[in-house]
Amino acid sequence: MNFQLEIWRQDSRDQPGRFETKHVQDVDGEASFLEMLDTLNEDLVGKGSRSVAFDSDCREGICGMCSLVINGMPHGPNQVTTCQTYMRDFEDGSTIYVEPFRNNAFPVVRDLAVDRSAFDRIIESGGYVSVTTGPQPDPNSQPVTPEVHQTVMDAAICIGCGACVAACPNGAAMLFTGAKITHLNNLPQGQPERDERARNMVHQMDEEGFGGCTNFGECSRVCPQEIGIDVIGMLNREYRRASRTKKPSHPKKMVAQ
Amino acid sequence: MPAHDVLIIGAGLAGQRAALAAADAGASVAILSKVHPVRSHSVAAAGGINAAINPDDDWRSHAFDTVKGSDYLGDQDAIEIMCSEAPGEIMHLEHIGVTFHRNDTGHLDLRAFGGASMKRTAYVADITGQAILHVLYEQLMKYSDRVDRYEEWFNTSLLKDDSGRCVGCVARNIRTGEMRTFNAKSTILATGGVGQAFKPTTNGLICTGDGMSLAYRAGARLMDMEMIQYHPTTMTANGFLITEGARGEGAHLLNAAGERFMEKDAPNKMELASRDVVSRAEQREINEGRGTGPLKDSVLLDVTVVPKNRVLEALREIVNLGRDFAGIDITKEPIPVRPGQHYTMGGVKTDVNGETDVPGLYAAGEVACVSVHGGNRLGANSLLDTLIFGKRSGQHAAAVAGEMQMPKVSDAQLRDDTRHIQDIINRPKTGRRISEIKEELGVSMNQYCAVFRDEEGMTKGKEIVTRLQEEAKTAYIDDAGTVFNQDVLGALELGFMLDCSEAIVTAALERKESRGAHSRTDYTERNDEDWLFHLTVSQDGEGADAPAKLDKAPITFTQWEPMERTY
Repeated sequence: MNFQLEIWRQDSRDQPGRFETKHVQDVDGEASFLEMLDTLNEDLVGKGSRSVAFDSDCREGICGMCSLVINGMPHGPNQVTTCQTYMRDFEDGSTIYVEPFRNNAFPVVRDLAVDRSAFDRIIESGGYVSVTTGPQPDPNSQPVTPEVHQTVMDAAICIGCGACVAACPNGAAMLFTGAKITHLNNLPQGQPERDERARNMVHQMDEEGFGGCTNFGECSRVCPQEIGIDVIGMLNREYRRASRTKKPSHPKKMVAQ
Repeated sequence: MPAHDVLIIGAGLAGQRAALAAADAGASVAILSKVHPVRSHSVAAAGGINAAINPDDDWRSHAFDTVKGSDYLGDQDAIEIMCSEAPGEIMHLEHIGVTFHRNDTGHLDLRAFGGASMKRTAYVADITGQAILHVLYEQLMKYSDRVDRYEEWFNTSLLKDDSGRCVGCVARNIRTGEMRTFNAKSTILATGGVGQAFKPTTNGLICTGDGMSLAYRAGARLMDMEMIQYHPTTMTANGFLITEGARGEGAHLLNAAGERFMEKDAPNKMELASRDVVSRAEQREINEGRGTGPLKDSVLLDVTVVPKNRVLEALREIVNLGRDFAGIDITKEPIPVRPGQHYTMGGVKTDVNGETDVPGLYAAGEVACVSVHGGNRLGANSLLDTLIFGKRSGQHAAAVAGEMQMPKVSDAQLRDDTRHIQDIINRPKTGRRISEIKEELGVSMNQYCAVFRDEEGMTKGKEIVTRLQEEAKTAYIDDAGTVFNQDVLGALELGFMLDCSEAIVTAALERKESRGAHSRTDYTERNDEDWLFHLTVSQDGEGADAPAKLDKAPITFTQWEPMERTY
């Protein structure tokens, strides 16, 4: 198969970028999209040009590292990660546009690689269980019903790739944040910090410059882990609940007697 | 110059667990990784984590299974520590939010795994590694005031002071090309294995043996390097891993005639014998012409015998893998599989606290060899290894750091490494390409150091590795930039892989018996009389060209004497 590629090239974060046209020939339809890019890079290196920088690691769909927008769709035409996208899914002879994930909160590092540390800062703001005092209870003393477990699992399966953000017309990170909230706020061990977590994570999400959800549902449609948009409903409920509970502006200090 | 009590290189499960343990103990911590932490290869661990949680179970039974699985090459003191601390670690993980699978009554569920005498594997569907890694990362965020994260920094050298103590490292910022010296009282290597020296492998592109090679160059001994695990079920189509959980849930292995050939090798455990045993049986079926597929190079993994709802609940990721990568619905038809390189049992020799031969340098996880896996690792023991010895290394390193002053470092190594990278960039474009050498290395290692080995093949393998080491010195790259220069990293990683490969073939040629994953067609039996010890490989002298030197190290026995190994 032969393709014309329009690839986004950008030398660094501060430099302006541009599309570059590249041609790839005799591509095996069974090659993955990233293998096709590997071959292109080999070719570029052979000709003495700079290879195209892109992120990838495990190449089996679990690490969340690969991150391209292919023909306008994060991770390509099928609802899988880029490494699971195959050249047989494209029409022979067609032109393919390859861009990095687009969002102000995800600055381009180089070419197709972006900086997704905004996600880290959302987690840092409260996406964890932090009660560590006292003995740890036996998990079996707090049974989790299969229904709750399933809900939690369907959210905890997030690989943090950021396709949801890249797909959203508003650039919202609510599917990602909603998945974290659905995971932790449904578990018994996540209860003590439930409200604080929702408040802080939503606040940080806004700080990073992500937009708000207006129910397009594009996020869920491109999510390789098929996380449902209902986690956003959960996020909204948790945030509303948390906003109602009054937080004392100055926590009372303990005074020595 | 950043200076910390504890510097951790690698941010997979072992690295993150070490960072959390050190931070808990009050140390200032830096964690440095060449990828974003949740992209570390621990994320791909599928099946689960072993712990004797069931009231009817006992950690001693877990320990014995591990000793037997190791073909009596494992150090029993370390195995006892790992197995006895396992239940507590599971409790800890559950407490911080890992969604271990619950059964219908809401209680923790356990699944069967290879080489285990009872159901003892806690799991999160077949994404256990991902689930634990993400939750540990959340915890790392909690400690953001005490743990400095250096994400996408590539480690180029370990630093030693005049007394020979490891005092930090030199690393390159992948995003900017900046080189920097990191000063630390203790340094922990947690960089994983060297699967990329084999092709195909189930390991990610980042598993290039960095830590093993750096420690080796710093004077530490590597141990059990000849022990390379071939996983019995990797997809023939592309080498991807299908979790042992599939067989744990009851899937069968069939040859071309539709026979469950494991009857011949493990009449009791069948498909759930140790991985080395199953891989050998598969390879024998294939070698003797009973394989399936156009090239007769596969056997069939039949998941259709497992109830469909159970498959969808507990093996969801491999349903997707089969669908996306091989176009097969595994709930309806069997999938072709064969043994594929999966794990490095060997690594940097450490004691039970993670300390290596170099003072101030620790290692934990796949990069280390404690040795709890010996000749063959049991499925679901690797996550446990990373967590238990990651934790112990972190605690020990923090305790030591609390009692000492920050050691002095010079910037000589920084200058050397900067010059070395510039030399790589300036090489004339006359030699071979990095990717060509890597390809030849992978194919050769997979041919000569695979499931079955012999003198002739391994000698050839060693010659190839020696030749590639020479060729790598003149291999050229094209990208001369500083920002996100992946070519330079590729050249450095190739050097790491070649060091490790040299150690692997050297040790494998030396061990003239069949033990665990090291199965020789010219010495088919285990020989406890002559070979009941570890083999170590170290650098004979200073400098990159120093030859490999072999030594023996004793195995620690506590309660279990070597016996015949049947499943």
